[in-house]
Amino acid sequence: MSDTAHGRSPYKIYWITWAILLVITVSMLAAEAFHLPRIFTVLFLLAFMMVKAAMIGGNFMHLRFERRNLTWMVAAGILVTSLILYTFITPESWNVRVKSQGPPPDSITVGERR
Amino acid sequence: MDTAGHVTVLEAGWGGGAAPFGASWQKTMMWIFIVTDALLFSGLLCGYAFLRQANPAPWPDRTEVFSIAFIALMTFILITSSATMGSAVTAARLGDRKKALANVVFTIMGGTAFLSCQAYEWTHLIREGARLNGPIAGSPLLEHGVTAQFTQAFFLLTGFHGSHVFSGLVILIITAIRTSMGKTPAQGVEMAGLYWHFVDLVWVFIFTLFYLV
Repeated sequence: MSDTAHGRSPYKIYWITWAILLVITVSMLAAEAFHLPRIFTVLFLLAFMMVKAAMIGGNFMHLRFERRNLTWMVAAGILVTSLILYTFITPESWNVRVKSQGPPPDSITVGERR
Repeated sequence: MDTAGHVTVLEAGWGGGAAPFGASWQKTMMWIFIVTDALLFSGLLCGYAFLRQANPAPWPDRTEVFSIAFIALMTFILITSSATMGSAVTAARLGDRKKALANVVFTIMGGTAFLSCQAYEWTHLIREGARLNGPIAGSPLLEHGVTAQFTQAFFLLTGFHGSHVFSGLVILIITAIRTSMGKTPAQGVEMAGLYWHFVDLVWVFIFTLFYLV
């Protein structure tokens, strides 16, 4: 069978995706060099991470060409469950951090005076 | 056939060769496996977020602990191996066995190079005193603020990912051998490809969340 059905190489999509992923990766590495406020750098990195994930899922794993319910099962299943996990697990880490550092110095002083 | 009403309904739903996702049962099951495996990494990354936020000291600057250029090289290798794997899947679908085999072999080479880089990185860090339960006394890593939380996150995240790369390599080697013998159907290459791309996908998250953010 011909590699060039419909006049386009069927392999092209992988190498275009590869090139885009490479450019995004280099941009992410260069992001630190711009010395933007930390929040912007983090948001930039997270946004590009999601773009890369979408490109791998869509083009390499062919989710773009699958039936919509399969795409939704995969994308929503992973994203929603991850969000629930993160929301319910990580807030407790602040309590752990506070406990590991002990009470603030002021409260110790107050306690000693008593 | 059983004439009981409820049995008939069940058979109509599950016994008629229906494909609810418009895909073969192999592909559907592979996707369900990928979702469950992704949730394993999701849990690990949430654990990492927990450890990082609970860390009493500022999180170490990764550029001082790792060579980010080296990690970028590992990313490049994995992305390239994903592109060759995609080409292998397409070649297998088109019935071009030689091209499919060549691309699976390229992917194996990429995966091996990635694992070698990871082994080098682990060896380097362990020689510097990193352990699963934190840096040992006198380790130069302590000067960079490396804590037990950091080494735990590093070894668990990259270790689980590396073990997936290793199992992916085993699957690819079996696929290559069977393809060379003409025994792997196109769908077999596609299933191996889905797993390999998943490994690449997980690395995107680890690379960003652990090494960059």
